[in-house]
Amino acid sequence: MPVQTPALTVEKMHKSFGRLEVLRGISLTANDGDVISILGSSGSGKSTFLRCINLLETPDSGVVTVAGETIKMRRRRDGRAEPADRRQVDRIRSELGMVFQSFNLWSHLTVLENLIEAPVHVQKRPRAECVEEAKALLAKVGMSERADYYPSHLSGGQQQRAAIARALAMRPKVMLFDEPTSALDPELVGEVLRVMRALAEEGRTMLVVTHEMAFARDVSTRVMFLHQGLVEAEGPPRELFTGAASERFRQFISKERG
Amino acid sequence: MDLDFISRSFVRLMSALPLTLAVWFLSVVLGALIAAGVTWLRVSGVKPFELFARAYVLVFRGTPLLIQLFIVYYGLASLPAVRASFVWPVLRDAFNCAVLSLALCTAAYQAEIFRGALLAVPPGQVEAARACGMSGLLLFRRAIFPIAMRHALPPYSTEMISMVKATALVSLVTLWDVMSVALKIRNDTLVTYLPLILAGAIYFVVNYAIGAGFLALERRLTPHLRSRPA
Repeated sequence: MPVQTPALTVEKMHKSFGRLEVLRGISLTANDGDVISILGSSGSGKSTFLRCINLLETPDSGVVTVAGETIKMRRRRDGRAEPADRRQVDRIRSELGMVFQSFNLWSHLTVLENLIEAPVHVQKRPRAECVEEAKALLAKVGMSERADYYPSHLSGGQQQRAAIARALAMRPKVMLFDEPTSALDPELVGEVLRVMRALAEEGRTMLVVTHEMAFARDVSTRVMFLHQGLVEAEGPPRELFTGAASERFRQFISKERG
Repeated sequence: MDLDFISRSFVRLMSALPLTLAVWFLSVVLGALIAAGVTWLRVSGVKPFELFARAYVLVFRGTPLLIQLFIVYYGLASLPAVRASFVWPVLRDAFNCAVLSLALCTAAYQAEIFRGALLAVPPGQVEAARACGMSGLLLFRRAIFPIAMRHALPPYSTEMISMVKATALVSLVTLWDVMSVALKIRNDTLVTYLPLILAGAIYFVVNYAIGAGFLALERRLTPHLRSRPA
């Protein structure tokens, strides 16, 4: 059997903010169809880790490879790392669909316009094709009725579902979710999680930074628990949630359950 | 009231309106270009550029436009170096001097409007554009500019209206704009207020049109700031 190229690998990622070392050598391999929940208390570095993967933050060191293509980095004279090829970064970013905690839809564009913006202007695909695909995606996240609404006229849950569709519109190889339900009213969390669960079930490769324990336990194929910038525990959710893999993880989940 | 006098004065004043509008239009357009440059320096992150941009705004916003106009029109012309240089054919014309000094002044105000508009762009929306693979000019053109421009419109319309009124100063450097025609009518006829009131009415109508135009543009571009469709 041929060796499958992983959708995403990260090797020994380090990141400091000033003197504070937020990531202290984190590695990860996501194969096609993996749904990896990244858990950890606030300050554990989980959001920073996600943002370093698509270089919204520049990691100090570490190697990111998306579908076999490694992001080329170099050292500046002052010793800090920077991407060696901006175009490569732009291209790889368009292959990683990012969903933010605060949605970040473009406020002056309608939902449909938000969806076709990057496919038309970054990927240079024909507009008509993008519109067709966007409509199909909106149907999938249950937002067909709201295609011509502006983000400010939608609830948080609707905005986040639109934002997920926007990320999908670029046909990404991997989806990155940065606490997608943390800014939502409790009664709106469910509709977003349902969409994410459906994506997981159709075999999307997903990295999900979250506090939703039920999602991590029931939907993800793997759970990664970060503590003080290191991987404290990792494995299939069944093992982590039932076994005694890590005392810290046990304390963490009992606290999250309140 | 002498209707004949009013109508004759009105016709004379209106004949000067094209010059007033030309000075206004050319100076705000040239000013916008200068302001774009100043704003770019201001947010460049390069310290000397930033300081230059701040000094520019400080000087041109902090001194009377009339003094700036006189320095450009009389001051520069008295320097032999200027008279000998290639800019003299431009600067010896009062119209060019007026446009230049109004442009330099409005550029300082416009640069501050642009800077404020850039600051008002939500960082998350820029980040979302980056995450989609936008950078450089594309990022500016598709994400930063459309959002910033909408923030700039209300203060920008105020600046445009201020500039129409500021053109009245060019009557002091020999140009035949609406204001100088009003002063001429006063001198010729010794009618004190009527020419001024008529001129004021003309400025008012022009500014009303500009204000309405910007308001219409704003409404067109910001449907997301109004309440949801029923």
